[in-house]
Amino acid sequence: MNLPATNSLPKTQLGRFFFLREVPFGVAMVRMMLPLAAGTPMFMRFPHVRELYTSDGAPVQMFELFGHGSVLPVLPPNLAVPLYSLLLLSLITAIIGFRTRLSLCIATTLYIYFNFLDGVGTMTKYSVIASHLLLLLSISNCGAVWSIDAFLKKRSATGAEVVPSSFPVWPARLMQLLFAHVYFGAAITKIQTDSFFSGEQMRYWMLSNWNYENPVGEVMAMWAPMLLISAYMSVVWEMMFPFLVWRPMGRLFVLGLGATFHFMTWLTLGLYIFPAICVSGYFAFASERDVLIVRNFVRRVGVARFAKWPAAIGQRTLNRIPRAVPAGVVWTCMAAFCAIAATEAELRLDIYGTNTAEGGYRLKPMDSTVARTMIDRQQQNIREQDKFFNFEIGTQTVGELLANRRTEFTFGELMLAQANLNPPHEDMWIECLLKDEENRTIEQFGQFVTREMLRANFTYKIGNKLVPGNYQMVLKSANQEIYHRKFLLSGTPGTESSVSSVLTN
Amino acid sequence: MSRWKSLIACMFIGVYVSFLSWGVMAHALKVGLCGNTLSYFVVWDMFCGWTAWDARTHIIAEDSKGNYFEVREPWGEFHPFGHVARIHYDNTNHLLPAHINNVLKHSVHEGIDRVYVVEEVWPKQYNLPPKLYAHYFDRPNDKLSYFHLRAVCAEDGTPLSSFPDWHTQQRLNAVYDNPRLQRQSKQATAMYSTLFTPTSQDSGKTLNSSYNTGLSTN
Repeated sequence: MNLPATNSLPKTQLGRFFFLREVPFGVAMVRMMLPLAAGTPMFMRFPHVRELYTSDGAPVQMFELFGHGSVLPVLPPNLAVPLYSLLLLSLITAIIGFRTRLSLCIATTLYIYFNFLDGVGTMTKYSVIASHLLLLLSISNCGAVWSIDAFLKKRSATGAEVVPSSFPVWPARLMQLLFAHVYFGAAITKIQTDSFFSGEQMRYWMLSNWNYENPVGEVMAMWAPMLLISAYMSVVWEMMFPFLVWRPMGRLFVLGLGATFHFMTWLTLGLYIFPAICVSGYFAFASERDVLIVRNFVRRVGVARFAKWPAAIGQRTLNRIPRAVPAGVVWTCMAAFCAIAATEAELRLDIYGTNTAEGGYRLKPMDSTVARTMIDRQQQNIREQDKFFNFEIGTQTVGELLANRRTEFTFGELMLAQANLNPPHEDMWIECLLKDEENRTIEQFGQFVTREMLRANFTYKIGNKLVPGNYQMVLKSANQEIYHRKFLLSGTPGTESSVSSVLTN
Repeated sequence: MSRWKSLIACMFIGVYVSFLSWGVMAHALKVGLCGNTLSYFVVWDMFCGWTAWDARTHIIAEDSKGNYFEVREPWGEFHPFGHVARIHYDNTNHLLPAHINNVLKHSVHEGIDRVYVVEEVWPKQYNLPPKLYAHYFDRPNDKLSYFHLRAVCAEDGTPLSSFPDWHTQQRLNAVYDNPRLQRQSKQATAMYSTLFTPTSQDSGKTLNSSYNTGLSTN
């Protein structure tokens, strides 16, 4: 490929960082992937547009959540639905690169507007990142390559072979700087969060059902060392990201870790859209040289002819478009058609059932006894067992959390019994009893657990007071036995005597 | 690239990077962000804490005949980020009045007297699948939900009375379960007829007020 020679190269390093000219392959890839990722949840919300974003529904603006009231106009359905359809159309035309800058400007404005309208069920951090990326795409030249606009421009050019133009890279740089700030800021948040580095926060997120299924996360949530290690790794990676991502080898390393990190958020937390948006933004880090390397590799391995199929199919399709039809007119007609079709579709969906015989749907009745039980103001006392997350025995801690669950011990080992608590809890007195298989109490330890404590440890040196056999550690709180942890003691008693001591946190 | 374009590009870069940097700095140092909606675009607090208890919101309407109804979208709930309905993500309760009004306005029912907002909480360990729970806890999964009345509203969602959320209530219970603190709080300086307004001596013709409602706590 012949590239135009770069002239007037910026003199300073900062100038070259922002104003070096390259063919915008990277932002073109972001243009193709990001609207797909960001648009998927917006497509899913179409059946509920009336409920979420119109004056005939229940929108709650972000401004209201911050205490500024309703700043944005909330439109009636007959205006909001066509605008919403325009948003969806703009995202699609941005992907295919048809009237790219117009599509992206409209998509950015409407995406931010509709997300702002629903601060509870639509706006979230992935929409913020997507908004930033859409804004930067709309001021870039992402439509210059791999787009319908590029094809139409090539078709209308006469004479010499048209080569992709090169443009200053600063929009891509700003996307890269965005990610640097996002990850650094996220690291700050984690550092400021209590109990993040002990693993409790990660555990509770993985056990929450606020996102989609996360079976891997549910298993990981019960393995404290894994939570701790991943907590440190994620913060170190986020802190290092801005300092390594612009170095040749560092870039591959941190972006690879980033892709792995986001993949793990899908596996362990059930997040779908957030990782998709972030990974689509990673293409902003792809340079012209990277694309040439991949292109040469594709040619070398002999799959180049398959790679040409999408372009060939696209060209054959686009060749059918008469030259005399201006692209702007086509886009406008598409927009009008979508607005009318969307309005009709939304009316036919009739979400509130106004066209039914009764003029709406009936509320589901509730059993009076159940309702009264739920409404009763008299406080339910929390069961003692619910004040505890778990009670385990082992010998090893990692980051103050028990790392190994054991059911067999030998003489001379230092047993650690750890009770993890569910905050908020009151100040408590808890006991740990060592009992034999006939339920006779051999040892008893107790300690105060104050309201800010998240765990309580009991240690017991297994000495010659015991004989080989089956025992159990019993956790008691408010004189109730909460947990029983059975274990087998094997081996030969030595000369060392049992020493028990109570360790507080 | 023309000089004007370069200048505009430089200005945009400067403003944008400053905006991003302000967000990170302000979030790290905890200054200048309170109540600023635009800060949501530059503060990256995606992981700001999760509780040990899972929670759901139930809304129960009572009509004049003493019948109770679930105030839930009869046309089908919207699940924004998983399998949980939108109302359950309303941590600040800003959606609640609009949600109640919208559901009751667009559904068929008798005249509603009162609407009760109830919080359901349970410890998160009970969310584990049965096999995992049995493996780790070696005890039956006897999950018990705790219900806590949060608010009583009118038919249009207007709150008539509200109560602290369950977590706050537990903390208050723990603190107040202390005879010494109870005694001291009851001996606090009374608000009525004891506070003196310095400007009251000289004014009398103009209405004076402070912007704040008094000394605020944490």
